[in-house]
Amino acid sequence: MILAPNVLDFDLPETVSRITRFIKGYFDNSGADGLVLGLSGGVDSSVIAALSGISIGGNRVLGLLLPEDETYNAKDINDAKFVAKKFGLKTQLCDITPSLEGFYRSIPVFDPDDRLCKGNIKARTRMIYIYYYANKLNRIVCGSSDKSETMMGYFTKWGDVAADISPIMDLYKTQVRKVATHLGFPPELADKPATPALWPNQLAETELGIKYETLDLVLYGLEHFMSREEIASQLNIEASIVERVKSRWLSAEHKRRLPLTAKLEYRTIGADFRLPRERY
Amino acid sequence: MTKIKIALAQIEARRENKKENLRKIQQFTEKAHEQGANLVIFPELSLTGYVMGDQVYEMAETIPGPSSRIMQNLAKETGMHIIFGMPELSEKAKATIFNTAVLVGPRGIIGKYRKMYLPTHSVFEEKRYFRSGHQAAMFETPLGNIGLCICYDLFFPEVCRLERLKGAQLIVVISASPAVRRSYFEILIVARALENTAFLAYVNLAGIEEGLQFWGGSRVAGPNGDLITKAKYDSEDLVTCVIDFDDIKPAEASIPTLKDLRPELFAELEREAEQF
Repeated sequence: MILAPNVLDFDLPETVSRITRFIKGYFDNSGADGLVLGLSGGVDSSVIAALSGISIGGNRVLGLLLPEDETYNAKDINDAKFVAKKFGLKTQLCDITPSLEGFYRSIPVFDPDDRLCKGNIKARTRMIYIYYYANKLNRIVCGSSDKSETMMGYFTKWGDVAADISPIMDLYKTQVRKVATHLGFPPELADKPATPALWPNQLAETELGIKYETLDLVLYGLEHFMSREEIASQLNIEASIVERVKSRWLSAEHKRRLPLTAKLEYRTIGADFRLPRERY
Repeated sequence: MTKIKIALAQIEARRENKKENLRKIQQFTEKAHEQGANLVIFPELSLTGYVMGDQVYEMAETIPGPSSRIMQNLAKETGMHIIFGMPELSEKAKATIFNTAVLVGPRGIIGKYRKMYLPTHSVFEEKRYFRSGHQAAMFETPLGNIGLCICYDLFFPEVCRLERLKGAQLIVVISASPAVRRSYFEILIVARALENTAFLAYVNLAGIEEGLQFWGGSRVAGPNGDLITKAKYDSEDLVTCVIDFDDIKPAEASIPTLKDLRPELFAELEREAEQF
């Protein structure tokens, strides 16, 4: 296999069609009254907002804008509103700062300098707001996690990845950007640097230590059972970089699954039961 | 008969809802009957839907059984032949199930085929639930000689070849193929028809089950590889076409794959496959 950037090319109209069909199919069978999603102003959630609007009509999609003081960014808010308007979504802005401060105050061992633990509270708090709206309004939570971040475990467990459906989880970040361009997003939004917004000026590529253009090819190679040496050789990068990516991918499997269950009885949740999610 | 009219009933199945699926099968059969079809074909596991998981133990029935009896009555009432798919419970065991294609005619059950190649990779976990069949199926019917295959069987040319050698003029492939596999099937359908100089009718599910998007695209390929008819992608459809078994002769003379068969290679193939 030649690991050139064009291995990540795909039929954009066909892919958009499959994703919108996926969303609509799940929605139609669910009995829900709409979708709800977090709208951060980043490319992933913007693409999901657009695809959700195309799938079932923007008037049945609620985008929640969930800023907080430390990471507040007016540009993100404007970008989120731009996408919502373009695809006819309803929006609701909820400042989550008071909730966060409540957590900070009430956790006896809370450490304000531990920005990862603190940041994870933010991601999980956003999840609580999104699920509250879903619960209250009988809606489905539509997740916006992409394949690059999910494979790398670059998300908060039970936080930003929490959703009922994840329509773009099988697209790498660079592929999501192509979908964004295909959907008519301006380049500054399609190519906007990714951030989980857990602390100020946090950038995904800086934290991951690798550009998405390279990371996605490494992950693609790993997905296709290529060896560490082969990937490194083809991409002209150090084998240790590939090893680091691989190690991170494999060690994060616990974040992508339901909790491991002790096998004690005849048919065990997580180990035996294979039941369809959707009921008619 | 040399000419028959066949109908490809590309339905969305309601998962785990046999009553609703039987109602839909009846509806499509009646439409096909109105259009003068002699044979109507439904997709793989069209009685129950494809993604059942553990529920298959509640869905499976023996053949004959309640659902196949309803299908027999439908065939009798319409005077048609009908092929459909269902999870078949073994008569001799309590939880041994086959993924089966059933052929019924106006006089009752003509035969059944138990899927031989059960995909258990990627999103498929058929071996977890089904026992493999062990016999290729070819049935002599008043319409002509019909062979039966199911979905992943198409990737193994020996199944269609065996049925052709048993005399099949029309090979019917019922399927539950998701969209990511469309390009493979579009090649294989034509290849299996052409290499066997036989008609091949492929009928796929439509709709979405558990995120699996079935691509529809049912079609009939002629013995020279030409596409005779094709249903819509993704959504339900009913298309019909007339096939003339007399067309096999010029195809077989033009590309004489059967005449040129080398039986000794099959023995070698068996040896190599065992040691592979």
